[in-house]
Amino acid sequence: MRKVVIGLEVHCELKTLTKNFSSSKNEYTNIPNIHVTPVDLGLPGILPVVNIEAVKKALKVAMALNCTNPDEVLFDRKNYYYPDLPKGYQITQVTKPMGKNGYLKIIMPDYEKDILIHQLHLEEDTASLDHYSTYSLIDYNRAGIPLIEIVTEPCIATADEAVKFLETLRDVFIYCGVSEADSKKGQMRCDVNISLTDNDQLGTKVEMKNINSFSSVKEAIEYEIKRQNEALDKGKKIIQETRRFDAEELKTYSMREKVDAVDYKYFIEPNIPPVKLTKEFLSDIRKEIPKLQYERYHQYTSEYELSEYDANVLVKDKEIADYFEELIGYGIKPKEACSWVTTVILGSLNKLNTDLKGLFITSKMLSEVVKLTLDNKISVGNAKKILYRAMDERIDPLTIIENENLRQIDDENVLIKLVNESLDEHEDIVLQFKEGKDYVVNYFVGQIMKKTKGQASPTKTLEIIKKEIKKR
Amino acid sequence: MIEKEKLKKYANKLMFDMDDKEYATLQEEFDVILKQMDLISKIENIDKVEPMTFPFVKDTYLREDMITDADVLTVAEVLENTKQVAKDQVKVPKVVE
Amino acid sequence: MQSEILKLRKQLDENKTTGEELFKQVITKNDKEINAFVTILDKYMHRNSKTLIDNIPYALKDNISTRGILTTACSNILKDYVPVYDATVYKKLKEAGAVLVGKTSMDELAMGGTGITGNNGVVKNPWNKNRLIGGSSAGSAACVAMGIVPFSIGTDTGDSIRKPAAYGGVVGFKPTYGRVSRYGLFAFASSLDHVGCFTKYVADAAIVTDIIKGYDPHDMTSLENNDECYFDMLNNSVKGKKLFYFKDICDPKNYENDDELLEILIKFKETIKKIKELGIEIEEVEFSKELLLALYPTYMTISCAEATSNNSNLTGIQFGLSGEGTSIEEIMFDARTKGFSELIKRRFILGSYILQKENQEKLFKNAQRVRRLIVDKMNELFEKYDGLIMPSSGSIAPLFEDSNDKLSDKYLILENHLVIGNFGGFPSISIPSGIVNKMPISINITGRAKEDGLVLNLAYKIEQILKFERGE
Repeated sequence: MRKVVIGLEVHCELKTLTKNFSSSKNEYTNIPNIHVTPVDLGLPGILPVVNIEAVKKALKVAMALNCTNPDEVLFDRKNYYYPDLPKGYQITQVTKPMGKNGYLKIIMPDYEKDILIHQLHLEEDTASLDHYSTYSLIDYNRAGIPLIEIVTEPCIATADEAVKFLETLRDVFIYCGVSEADSKKGQMRCDVNISLTDNDQLGTKVEMKNINSFSSVKEAIEYEIKRQNEALDKGKKIIQETRRFDAEELKTYSMREKVDAVDYKYFIEPNIPPVKLTKEFLSDIRKEIPKLQYERYHQYTSEYELSEYDANVLVKDKEIADYFEELIGYGIKPKEACSWVTTVILGSLNKLNTDLKGLFITSKMLSEVVKLTLDNKISVGNAKKILYRAMDERIDPLTIIENENLRQIDDENVLIKLVNESLDEHEDIVLQFKEGKDYVVNYFVGQIMKKTKGQASPTKTLEIIKKEIKKR
Repeated sequence: MIEKEKLKKYANKLMFDMDDKEYATLQEEFDVILKQMDLISKIENIDKVEPMTFPFVKDTYLREDMITDADVLTVAEVLENTKQVAKDQVKVPKVVE
Repeated sequence: MQSEILKLRKQLDENKTTGEELFKQVITKNDKEINAFVTILDKYMHRNSKTLIDNIPYALKDNISTRGILTTACSNILKDYVPVYDATVYKKLKEAGAVLVGKTSMDELAMGGTGITGNNGVVKNPWNKNRLIGGSSAGSAACVAMGIVPFSIGTDTGDSIRKPAAYGGVVGFKPTYGRVSRYGLFAFASSLDHVGCFTKYVADAAIVTDIIKGYDPHDMTSLENNDECYFDMLNNSVKGKKLFYFKDICDPKNYENDDELLEILIKFKETIKKIKELGIEIEEVEFSKELLLALYPTYMTISCAEATSNNSNLTGIQFGLSGEGTSIEEIMFDARTKGFSELIKRRFILGSYILQKENQEKLFKNAQRVRRLIVDKMNELFEKYDGLIMPSSGSIAPLFEDSNDKLSDKYLILENHLVIGNFGGFPSISIPSGIVNKMPISINITGRAKEDGLVLNLAYKIEQILKFERGE
């Protein structure tokens, strides 16, 4: 059995208002060449000016991945010619990347593992090329969009680990609010390096570039393991090369052999003087890092004693986890909060195909409704109905309750009056009670519920019926 | 003397070519300049000096993340100096990846 | 006060002439044989302003981006390039009411020191048409030397303002690195490039620099604004100021068989004597010969390396000379092969060689290390002295038949010391100091970084006692 060694290089576009080195809009659009300044075109005379937000977001991810940060912001040039690279060089980081030597914990079904991060650097995206039958078109909207690249150590052993890492990493991006990390829009892209070995030395590395979806990463790795194993079994040599994954055929194809490595002639970008990173600046960023998925999962299962299943459901989406924690903040017990979020909230999100912002019900609103049920002011069933109506009509559920007097009736005087009215109306049933048929009290509960449209407190009603019927 | 073939390879990597006479001039020039550059390497303890990219240390500021419309070009401006244009984009022969 | 700008200002203010008249005079007075211009504007364009240079005509070097006006950098690859944006220096001059008359000839892409390598032919010296005026800002020097504009804008990476100023008998000022924004200056070597001016008198240089200086949000290397007005500082007392010169290279004993050089050095000593009468102390200083000999190779190494990368945007795809071919590579290859002259290609190959992985440490980084040694040494001297005073050149403007731009073994420190100003970003000015063989000679003053006002102040006072006889 040969050992599989996988390393990943993940690119992710950062969500900022403007590009990394120019003040044109960072926005995905189908209309070509509308978000372009002279800087993005690499026109003679242009100079890059670094976007503070891109720097902050890159540092934030680096911190979330437990990397060490540099003492200053510094960029380098990577020189090569390609039609999607207007300046003829890409501004990137080699000398002082935003993060070095970090790790990200992944939770596999049977074990946990730290995936080691070699480095994280901030750079710029290229223009996009659209290919037609005989020609290609260049659109510069994407040129200069801030991009972070995360390079792992070659420490991933299976396709499943690779996918889990990517999923966890995407959650970090989303949790930190640095990117939508939508692979359909090309915002998150991945290169895979893979080698097989039967000894302590690394085998020959094969590179697969620009794989867009996580499922393709899995399929590509599985195919490559199989292909390389078969080749090695036959005594063939693995060639160091770049391969392309075909997502339709689920196969990889050789693109080019690595004859001699490209020399990018990196050197420090002379147009960007170093900007010192103060302790204060860094700690302000660190403060903004939310509790990450892994941390929350542990808190939910141990401290809150939620099931692993529920904990997983809650931490999957940061917004949901935040919402859940807000409920706890409003004084709802974790288990109670969990049950409401997983049923009413997640159910509605699915059904209405929307996100939390579109749902209208804030955690504050929900917490107040939940409190009413806990105080027996309203039944759980009614509470749910009111919540669904509130989502539908986009009205505060409390307003619905107030306006329509939907609070539970637990006023004893009111209930005694109603119960006696009902006992008067059904003397025959009262008679049955006297004959020993205790269960008929339930009939009267039903009657009271009918009269109050379900608002009467069921426990209180039952209590009063039992008391009043005995008086007869 | 540095071989002509090597220089031609460098030139081609920079996406241009020269004629034989020009390469010959360059060969001579390389000889001269590399000799001069050797002077640099012979300076005592040169390896202990931190390389200098920027003339002096100064306060530098990062840019606030705000769109500056004044800098944004119209599509017509983007393509004003472009010879081959289609669908508001720069048209080039098919790029094979 | 001797000032060409103030003279014209007075005429304009007294309605003895108009901006449009001055603009038209430039065109009629221009000696076409000198070949100072790439483009002469046919339309008078003026924006009202209240500055000293309102309605004053001037010229810009053809490597400064001017929206809607051809800007070629005298290279075939940009022969039809019409920028879509304005350089900051042009914008500032426009807003100050100055009237652009044309774009001036230069060495191709500013990579030369003769004024003979541009694609529109050689620039001749107005003092003697058999002599060159030097470069790369050849046309900008020539049009001020001809007396047809009171000032012009040039750029200086090694000595490209100060050397042609010396050969042309005019004032050439290169302010501190970052004092004037580089946004819109076609980059040659970003860490050495400066924008500056040519004028007839020092006062004019102060007036122009006051207009074009300032922090630019488009240039991260630009310096912060301060309240200084260089024009107001001209009359500050210079008594007790201290200058130094390099002992060995100014000592006539070290040169034999070169009458012209000996005369220049003797005149330099006479000049020194006169300056001392102003109460300025001048001392000779021993400076490491080893470092002085390293000036030229260090400059070549750094500038060629940065230039190779900076000019990688010139591929003829989105702008510039379009190449022919069936593939994108062929098109780029063709454009660059046809678009650059031999000299430029040789510099690019050298620069690329220097940056290669296997050579970078020994060549590029070592040159950057020498740069630091030289700059540190200068800063050490600047703790004791207010400036360095030297002959701007060891020769008068060469005859065309004696010039060539090939790198050669024979070179003089006296011909290359001006690059110290670029290494350290020091403000540096060349002013005419006398005549040798019917041609102008010049002295140079280089001061502490950011102390542009003091350098202009010293130069102004020295100019007054030198009483340089112009050949008018």
